[in-house]
Amino acid sequence: MTAPFEVSETVSLGLAVVFGIFFGLSLERGGLGDPHKLTGVFFLRDFTVPKVMFTAILVASIGLYLLSDVHLLDMGRIWIVPTFFWPQIVGGALFGIGFVVSGYCPGTAVTGVATGRLDALLTIVGMGLGSLLFAVLFPVMEGFYLSSDKGAATLPKVAGINHWGVIIPIVALAGGMFYLMERYEKKPR
Amino acid sequence: MNEKKYWSPYVSGIGLGLTLLATFYIAGRGLGASGAIALVTAQGTHAVVPDLISRLKYFEQYITPLKPLINWNLFLLGGVFLGSLAGSLLSGNFKAMLDKGATMSVRSRVFTSLAGGMLIGFASRLARGCTSGVALTGGAELAVSGWIFVISMFAAGFITVSFLRRLWS
Repeated sequence: MTAPFEVSETVSLGLAVVFGIFFGLSLERGGLGDPHKLTGVFFLRDFTVPKVMFTAILVASIGLYLLSDVHLLDMGRIWIVPTFFWPQIVGGALFGIGFVVSGYCPGTAVTGVATGRLDALLTIVGMGLGSLLFAVLFPVMEGFYLSSDKGAATLPKVAGINHWGVIIPIVALAGGMFYLMERYEKKPR
Repeated sequence: MNEKKYWSPYVSGIGLGLTLLATFYIAGRGLGASGAIALVTAQGTHAVVPDLISRLKYFEQYITPLKPLINWNLFLLGGVFLGSLAGSLLSGNFKAMLDKGATMSVRSRVFTSLAGGMLIGFASRLARGCTSGVALTGGAELAVSGWIFVISMFAAGFITVSFLRRLWS
């Protein structure tokens, strides 16, 4: 049988909770409920965020494309995050500023609350207000929001190469980056 | 901060990566967090001021479904809370506090939490998701969206810190 699978709503929601538990456990045990650790990379002090993030991306990416290659998973039925080039460049930049200012992102703010941090709860309230502000301003921003629509664009499709031609260089880059980070963190300062 | 209390970031990353892979394999989709916060905001404000909120075209997607709170992303985020709580309680890492940079006043921290959160809430709607829904999920799919978001986020973070060094140091 080829993944992904059709399941009932109840099973699907139950699985969502289970996935969430493992997601939350990985974040908390990685120290990602702590805003000092979360922002550490920007001060070249603690590289936990890029280490966790790029390890996770590569594990999932290698697994996903491997399963697809051996026909255990139908890539055509995986929901690909759509690309809206300029909205995501601007959104990413505003997000980066908000990340440094608040010390959290949405998932890790929930982890922050679960470690007892009141500032994380305030950050989530802020995120709600920001979503509301977006909805209020939507009429004047809709044009930009829908601009530069590239659909389900992926790097291998854009470059016209096999997916391993993208994954292997990223693994090499991440490996080199991890090596430099370890060396830098060990250096006495 | 007792560093030894935490897992190695690579172990944590593998755990997160396998979780993401499992959601791809079983559910055909990735992880997400910001959408559920927008959903709860839309529902919460709609309960208080229905006339105003039902006029917001962007919030229609969160208001019109028959059972809006029976939502995959919301259940997922509930799981994130439970998993994080289990981790922090079992490891003795739970501590009620207002966490902030060493030199920051409580009043400033309340402001940076709310203001930073607002920027993130706004940016996540514009970018179609956050670090979970776009960066991790899109990144693993090798989607262009995930990688441009990651690069833009880190670049903006480094530039911001060069102006606001005292935030967290």
